[in-house]
Amino acid sequence: MRRSLFNGRSPTQVIMPIATLVRSVLPLLFVSAMALRAQAENWPGWRGPGRSGVTTDTGVPTTWSATEQVAWKTPLPGTGISNPVVWEDRVFITAAEGRDQGELHVLCLDRDSGRILWHRRLWGTAPTVFFYPKSGLASPSPVTDGRRLWAFFGTGDLFCFDLDGGLLWQRALADEYGPFENRFAAASSPLLFRDTVILQCDHYGASYVPAIDGATGANRWKSDRPEAWLSWSSPQLIAVGDRFELLLSGSEKLDGYDPADGRRLWTVRGLQRECVPTPVVGDGVVFVVSGPNGDHLAVKPGGSGDVTDTHVVWRNGRGTSFVPSPIVVGERYYLADDRGIVSCLATSDGELLWRKRLEGKFTASPVAAEGRLYFTNETGTTFVLDAEAAEYRELARNEIGEDVYASPAISQGRMFVRTTKHLICLGAK
Amino acid sequence: MKRLVDGLRTYLIAWAILSWAILSSAVRAVPAAAPSPAAADPAVAEPAVAQSIGVIARVGPSGSGSGEARAARDALAQHGAEILPPLLVAMDTRNVVAANWYRTVFDEIVLREGERDGVARLRPYWEAYAGDARRAGRPRRLALTLIERDEPGFTATWIAGRLGDPEFGYEAVAHALSTGEQALRDKDTEQAKRAFRQAFDFARDGVQVAQAAARLKSQGESVDPVKHLGLVVDWRLVGPFDAPAKTGFARPFPPEQHGEPEQRVDLGATYAGKEGKPIAWTRHQADDALGQLNLIKALGTFREAVAYAYAEIEVPEARSAQLRCGADDNCTVWLNGQKIFGRDQWLNGTRFDRFITPITLSAGRNRLLVKICQGPQHRDPEVPNPWSLQLRLCDAEGRGIEFRSLAPEQEAARAP
Repeated sequence: MRRSLFNGRSPTQVIMPIATLVRSVLPLLFVSAMALRAQAENWPGWRGPGRSGVTTDTGVPTTWSATEQVAWKTPLPGTGISNPVVWEDRVFITAAEGRDQGELHVLCLDRDSGRILWHRRLWGTAPTVFFYPKSGLASPSPVTDGRRLWAFFGTGDLFCFDLDGGLLWQRALADEYGPFENRFAAASSPLLFRDTVILQCDHYGASYVPAIDGATGANRWKSDRPEAWLSWSSPQLIAVGDRFELLLSGSEKLDGYDPADGRRLWTVRGLQRECVPTPVVGDGVVFVVSGPNGDHLAVKPGGSGDVTDTHVVWRNGRGTSFVPSPIVVGERYYLADDRGIVSCLATSDGELLWRKRLEGKFTASPVAAEGRLYFTNETGTTFVLDAEAAEYRELARNEIGEDVYASPAISQGRMFVRTTKHLICLGAK
Repeated sequence: MKRLVDGLRTYLIAWAILSWAILSSAVRAVPAAAPSPAAADPAVAEPAVAQSIGVIARVGPSGSGSGEARAARDALAQHGAEILPPLLVAMDTRNVVAANWYRTVFDEIVLREGERDGVARLRPYWEAYAGDARRAGRPRRLALTLIERDEPGFTATWIAGRLGDPEFGYEAVAHALSTGEQALRDKDTEQAKRAFRQAFDFARDGVQVAQAAARLKSQGESVDPVKHLGLVVDWRLVGPFDAPAKTGFARPFPPEQHGEPEQRVDLGATYAGKEGKPIAWTRHQADDALGQLNLIKALGTFREAVAYAYAEIEVPEARSAQLRCGADDNCTVWLNGQKIFGRDQWLNGTRFDRFITPITLSAGRNRLLVKICQGPQHRDPEVPNPWSLQLRLCDAEGRGIEFRSLAPEQEAARAP
């Protein structure tokens, strides 16, 4: 069976019931519908549609090399592991450079040619020499709704642009609430929920999660998380009945919040103290991983208070990762740990279906299209696996010729790979 | 008619006052900390430009004033290269959000006017501005990029001569180090020694200092990184105190309960440590090249514990300085009985100059007491759990201050 959780659509399309949609956004129904239809082919933020890593785009290449299937290749400034974001004919990406990573970059490229359409250079308010060399301070992926682009950096700065590169507003969270003190600075990618941008700001200092008005930059709500320690995970959304729940993984627990007002609803304990992977959602269940040597957990949302004993569907303690996020395709859950061991588990009960050691180390998270899984290691080798096979089945092994730490993006039949030097578009020219 | 004239007069007066207020506010918003680097000052903005610059200066970190800033920014973007100098001056501000708004205009004008020679003709201004160490680093680097456009390769050569520059000093030292390495490859040991000596003298970064010192040592020259950086390495230690579940940071143990500021730590005291075992002060010298004190080496392997480090130093006269420290897991510092630093963080790693605190040292003897917490072990026993401290005293530029380490036991013996 070939299917993906979101089938290439946004989580809003998939999980917002019609009644709620009509009640809440009736005046914008027509506009929203048009926007959502266009979004189907886009990769609007961290890990694409539904932050799942999965798209139903077709025509995505299976094989390539440093010279074959390369539509274009554009040099990038600085460093970063934010993934490219694709909206229609534009590709957006962020980077940071300088000894203290204080020089920030937001670039917009033409999807078809790789030409840089605009390039904004900005300064971070709280740069630091204490960053992770692989990522710099451009770990968070930007996010767009097709009208605006929001770019967040490890310096604690959130910028909002129109799609022509005009700055609309900037929030300097480090100035407002204190600098990020979590060893490698802020790395959580912003989540777009309706017209708000939600950030997970867990660190050694005063942790918090704000929902920021996408148009004005003002706080809609801000919930303090004094018990939270540090995390580099990104927030996720799941539909529960006719509402949503916001999922925050970090500090030895998974929390469910009401994204409309920032109330914490429930907590599941049992994660590691440092969480990087972003939870993924499948068939109404949250899959969360923390490690290394932590657990994979499948959790039913919708509870109240501490639901550790009642809402954990299954738990598996083998093969967890520190950095790469998992991916769900159909009824299977896949994860490559940092050392390159891929595990495939059944989403229903967490049973280990197969395990295979690939070559190299992994930082990038996998993506999937057309029943194929793409796992890219740090030296730029992408292992293309058959997601329809019951066992491990390798379809191709492709070398891009440069180191890769960022997760790829897929949109409109093309794959966009950020190497340590370039943004490379793979697919037909 | 009289009412009309009176009304008009009132309106004109109000308009004049309002205009004056806006313009003076805008002009004030342009920092004037340093004199203009150019003789004929191109940094002086015409009133309309100054007004727009003033509007942008009022944006805040929360995004307040963004709408007004966008309008002012768009108005500024209508101008040509002549407003680049005042924009550069405006970027010399602590308000980084405002600086970013200015920069969007700046970059747009440079992109547009660059091909018309409007940027290149201001080169003397860019050069003077980039070389003005009193200015903020961000706009200085921006000015440098404009020269680099005009003369590729200029930056690398220019920075090599900026030893001691607060913005470019690190890169200048890096250049000196690479010059020394090249001289070694060329078998010119005298040139290599000169370059490494120069790098050492100006280095303020721990890695650069260690690198220069190691290279000099390999060439038979001895330097002292500990003294150069002002590292405190001569400590009296006591621990471990029992501090389960990360309670150590908040919980006061006897060494910090020393009451009035003038009351000294009792180095002769014995306390109940972990598992009730008696613990006493002992002397330890940090033998790490950069003065890092390894508490596991000094006291043993413990989890969920607290130790105290105590040192006395002497300076000839009262002075301001900086205390720079890092610890694993965290540290709290008292200077002459006053708490001056504490950060409740765990798993920090001891990183060079991680935390910087301005201090005032008294003439003569100064007492430093530091609490260093050790957290729980990761559930994976193979994950390292270091316990360490690094602390130095320096000036605002990172140059170690001169002080003498004292032996507090001798002072205590002399006390009545």
